[in-house]
Amino acid sequence: MLTADRSTQALPARRASLGARLGRSPSAFAYLLNAPAILLLLALVAYPILDAFWLSLHRYNLRRPDVYDFVWLQNYVDVLTSDLFPGSLGVTLLFTFWSTVGVLVLALGAALVANEKTPEQPVLRTLLLLPWAMPGVVTALMWKWIFHPQAGALNGLLFSLGLIPAYRSWLMAPDTSYLSIVTANVWNTMPFSVLVLLAALQTIPGELYDAAKVDGADIFGRFRYVTLPWLVHPILIVLIVQALGGIRIFEIIYLLTGGGPGNASTTLGFAAYMTSFVSTDVGRGNAWAYTIALLTFAIAVVYMRLLYGRGDIRT
Amino acid sequence: MSSTALAPPRRRLRLSGRSLAIHAGAVFYILWIALPFAWVVLTSFMTEAESMSIPPHWIPDYITFDNYLAFVEPSRFGVSFVGSGAAQAAPRALLNSALVAISVALLNLVIGSLAGYAFARLDFRGSAALLMTYLATRMVPALAIMVSLYLIFQTLGLLDTLAALVLSYLTFTVPYSVWIMASYLRTIPRELEDAALVDGCNWGSMMLRVFLPVATPGLVACAMFAFMSSWGEFLYALLFTSTLSSKTMPIVIAGFVTDVNTSPTLMNAGGVLAVIPPLVLALLFQRMLVRGIAAGAVKG
Repeated sequence: MLTADRSTQALPARRASLGARLGRSPSAFAYLLNAPAILLLLALVAYPILDAFWLSLHRYNLRRPDVYDFVWLQNYVDVLTSDLFPGSLGVTLLFTFWSTVGVLVLALGAALVANEKTPEQPVLRTLLLLPWAMPGVVTALMWKWIFHPQAGALNGLLFSLGLIPAYRSWLMAPDTSYLSIVTANVWNTMPFSVLVLLAALQTIPGELYDAAKVDGADIFGRFRYVTLPWLVHPILIVLIVQALGGIRIFEIIYLLTGGGPGNASTTLGFAAYMTSFVSTDVGRGNAWAYTIALLTFAIAVVYMRLLYGRGDIRT
Repeated sequence: MSSTALAPPRRRLRLSGRSLAIHAGAVFYILWIALPFAWVVLTSFMTEAESMSIPPHWIPDYITFDNYLAFVEPSRFGVSFVGSGAAQAAPRALLNSALVAISVALLNLVIGSLAGYAFARLDFRGSAALLMTYLATRMVPALAIMVSLYLIFQTLGLLDTLAALVLSYLTFTVPYSVWIMASYLRTIPRELEDAALVDGCNWGSMMLRVFLPVATPGLVACAMFAFMSSWGEFLYALLFTSTLSSKTMPIVIAGFVTDVNTSPTLMNAGGVLAVIPPLVLALLFQRMLVRGIAAGAVKG
């Protein structure tokens, strides 16, 4: 839908005065207008992504800048065969999976509820902006305090309800540290998905429900045969946005668990950061980062095809 | 949750059962979002001793504003708090965050509306491919380019400056701004510019006097998104800043979070302070943002 309209070809005569200076070509003018964005992204995204790959083929440590040896794919071999790789890949994929499932289920429910005219609706819709606007560090701070091993709200609440026999160190135990970061991430990323689904729900024509009613569909039938088909596309978008965010998760790990206990919550992103900036081994660190980039690329291709398929972008 | 929201508990009371489920669902979601943050706000008004009581006090027995005053007047409260160093850094960090976020927003307005105009009004070769390239750029993980950006900024001597943050934040805001502006400017009727041009405006003054004023909602949405994603950014700020001359609020907050000895009340007050600017903006521009989110992801 964002392609330029055919009718623009016949530019008004007056505009040609500027067009003339630019060689009478709307194309040249268009690229001139795009030049700041293109130059910026060439310098700060395109060059770095190539440079990062080039670095990943070298042995290069920031603490020993004089050593810069081309080692082919050795860094990738080292990463893929390292003890950390299977675990961190598993943590990343499972984190992505559970975050996505959690967000999808919760967001679908919230969108259906927020689509109804109830006294609570305006409150709910406004509150959705809170996690969305909240910086990631503040989200992390909030959950760190909720999961606090002594004074945390979760311990106090569950203990007083008799659901746990003793206070627990949620973030320091391997089984619960994982669940805790998923919870924090779901809380933080859910509103975006709710707003996307809600916008789609609001476009469903009421006649479809009326027709389904006439055909004798009960409330489940109407959800199954009217609502759900209408939501297929926004649901796919939610899945992809969540997957892209999950694969590159770093901030919440860094702040809540530090990848621990041990390596129980170390993701690919955290491993990339630690290798590049703590071990200062930027050659191998970039090999870690590139595995993330390749996973992202695979998902991105699916995403682009989806947008094409829906007609958001036409060639 | 989806099934509970829709499923009537009993067949006979279909309508009331359904609305009961909807009310229950609404209350559940309101509590799920509000309670965690309410706990942060409540703690920020407690004394340090009370915040550490076991079992936790939900409502403070004694309300104190000292945690907030520690940020405003660090000299008076500095010694009495653990982690007061971070509190002393807060005013400067807030200023840095604001400077960076505002600069990024302004630059996005210029870069985004120029490129957006080209997509909305000019038929040029490769426009679809270029638009897809912008989208692809946005998907490049920060983790994949962080080392190269670090080395670039090191070479240019920009490490630990606000300029490094502004430049790195442009990498993920500009592609999105181009998309927002392109889809918004398409909705403006072409006759408007044509009339201005016929009346003798040149292209520049047509843009400034006629086109951009009409495009204000799109421009505001563009600036808001750029401001918000810059205000809370963490990874680049963690890597490229080292002293107070460039540290932003997220880095100061992170200092609280990762330091086990931090006073919890001070930490929570800092969190509330950091969330206020983006939250106020989000509430002020609620409609616009919701439309923007939906438009960016669902339909243009």
